Amino acid sequence: MPMKNIFRSIIGLSALLLVQAPAFSATPPAAMVCESCHGTAGLGTPNLAPMLAGMDKDYLVEQINHFKNGNRKNPSMTSMVMTLATPESVQQVAAFFASLPAPTISNIEKRGDNVIITDPARKLVYQGDWTRNIPACATCHGPSGLGVAHFPRLASQHADYISNQLTAWQNKKRTGDKNNVMATIAQQLTASEIQHLAQYFAAIK
Amino acid sequence: MKTLSLILGASLLFSTFASAETNLPDRQTELPAHAKAASTEYLVPRDLATIPNTEFGNKVKQGYSLFVNSQTMRGQYVGNEQNCANCHMQAGMKANSAPLWGAFMAYPAYRKKNDKVNTYAERIQGCFKYSMNGVAPAVDSPELVALTAYSYWLAMGGLLDKYDMQSTQIPEMSDAVVQLGGKADSFVLPETIAAALPIEQRNKLAGRGYPKLAKSAQTPSIERGEIVYKQTCSTCHGDSGQGLKQDGVQSFPPLWGKGSFNWGAGMHRVNTAAFFIYENMPLGKSIQLSNQQAWDVAAFMNSHERPQDPRFTGDLKANQEQYHNHQGYYGKTVNGKVVGENAFPAEAVD
Ligand code: HEC
Ligand code: HEC
Ligand code: HEC
Ligand code: HEC
Repeated sequence: MPMKNIFRSIIGLSALLLVQAPAFSATPPAAMVCESCHGTAGLGTPNLAPMLAGMDKDYLVEQINHFKNGNRKNPSMTSMVMTLATPESVQQVAAFFASLPAPTISNIEKRGDNVIITDPARKLVYQGDWTRNIPACATCHGPSGLGVAHFPRLASQHADYISNQLTAWQNKKRTGDKNNVMATIAQQLTASEIQHLAQYFAAIK
Repeated sequence: MKTLSLILGASLLFSTFASAETNLPDRQTELPAHAKAASTEYLVPRDLATIPNTEFGNKVKQGYSLFVNSQTMRGQYVGNEQNCANCHMQAGMKANSAPLWGAFMAYPAYRKKNDKVNTYAERIQGCFKYSMNGVAPAVDSPELVALTAYSYWLAMGGLLDKYDMQSTQIPEMSDAVVQLGGKADSFVLPETIAAALPIEQRNKLAGRGYPKLAKSAQTPSIERGEIVYKQTCSTCHGDSGQGLKQDGVQSFPPLWGKGSFNWGAGMHRVNTAAFFIYENMPLGKSIQLSNQQAWDVAAFMNSHERPQDPRFTGDLKANQEQYHNHQGYYGKTVNGKVVGENAFPAEAVD
């Protein structure tokens, strides 16, 4: 037992150090230009740029490459990724934003926690709609949409950004997701569902 | 019929002692595979939001929650990283994904093999033992009562609606009735339904189990299956089948290894896995695997080690001969190793 406790406190300590690390690590030069839109804390700005803080590093790398190869189209970002000339600089900025703390969420909700869900958007999040082959969003995006490995976090992301992405998939302006998994789901959603889902995730604080 | 009810009564008596049984019966017996039925025939359970706020309704709700997030029973009844809903899609409601409504109406089931009648609750106990690599809760435990009540609620709502009784409330049943299952002589159905669905038809509801998939042109190949796995599955189930976990929550289930279902679970059979995968994977069905890909990837998945078959008593060959006369790799040699010899511990509950 005491051994276990010592072990625990070592883990605790190193976890503490990990959390504090970003506070000491300065913004890498390549990421300076990003901060004008995505913010110094990486939290983004509504109607300007999405939150990047705490997103999975591999996910961010992949998305930067999507902007580079045209799978994703956005005038600001298409020119911004040009500033990241080498794979190393892509890795570096992705690692930086991934290391910034994302807002912490209290009352995390898992699939199965609530049975009776009347709000249609929330129902899609935790139960899906299988008549249209839509699994619950939380299956892939995690409890409360907090993200699972390279499946991106949606919780507290800006609503305008979420709805733009879902619409971009519908209009085939965003591609490149493996096996069209997300594209297939987005294509099934109605405009009103997209608005409500976006607001639902943005409001998770 | 008389003898059946007699056996039934006796088994009910004994079922209380089921957890004390040392010689585990083969409860994960293969379901009779059937061709896929037209989609209009499937039962569609009622909206979960209509579950009443009664004592019975609360059992149904608890059953849903336990089924979707079974990890709340981790350490007590569940010994791995699985949730029931991982293999029974849409919380056990989806046709062709071994839906609970199809199952509920099929029990009690008389089994020639051990001359025993399995009640519905006992069938669920089997999934705890094998698929969940755990220890089955007692038939009259709150957990099993909840899971059986939930299954009954799905089945009865689906039946009432199918037979144009949309405004009829789902009758609330006693624990004993739901533990037994909808194929019991004593199970009461509204007259029109009882007439349309005689007892011997009830285990054949369209959409029950996983639909049979025609044999592949080429013998299933582990090597080809590995290619399919890397291309299509590993992004969700991990490079080494471990699934994906974040902050202690296993969102994507492991397909092999210590956190997966054990060597006694139905999913370890190559054919059952191929049926499941072809019908339900990749999640969201943005692409459809070919028949050959489904068989190959099922072979690849089930050629890996997983927790030991709980019926194993030290002699792999004997266990294989007694319980593994089906399409699987248990006891066979793959890459120079006998599969099952390096299995992870069964029943990893505290
Ligand atoms: C002029 C404002 C602006 C600047 C500067 C900017 N971005 Fe962006 N960024 C955006 C916008 C707008 C989007 C959303 C694009 C879309 O709708 O597809 C975005 C999206 C992204 C995404 C996708 C996030 C996700 O969740 O998929 C990444 C990654 C990203 N930016 C990284 C960067 C990096 C790295 C830099 C610096 C090199 C940078 N951005 C600079 C505006 C900007
Ligand atoms: C089967 C798994 C799966 C399910 C279910 C799922 N998603 Fe996704 N989602 C993904 C993947 C994978 C991505 C990343 C796509 C990429 O790589 O470009 C994604 C990305 C997204 C994004 C873009 C996030 C960003 O930062 O750019 C949004 C928004 C989104 N999903 C919303 C939803 C909503 C809403 C639902 C439920 C209706 C849902 N997803 C259900 C797999 C899923
Ligand atoms: C987009 C992500 C995704 C992809 C791709 C995917 N799966 Fe799954 N799979 C899941 C999820 C999530 C579940 C659990 C479903 C649930 O809980 O609702 C699952 C469940 C399963 C199960 C049930 C068994 C268990 O142990 O829980 C098997 C078997 C399976 N998948 C095999 C495969 C195979 C084989 C492939 C490749 C052909 C594949 N999956 C591709 C996400 C995926
Ligand atoms: C690893 C996948 C997996 C998990 C997890 C799982 N099951 Fe199953 N279940 C199966 C398979 C496979 C079958 C048999 C289907 C066949 O042979 O065609 C089955 C059969 C059943 C049946 C009988 C179906 C019928 O029509 O006769 C019931 C009831 C059932 N499971 C309930 C549960 C419950 C409750 C849980 C959680 C405690 C659970 N299962 C967890 C894979 C799983």
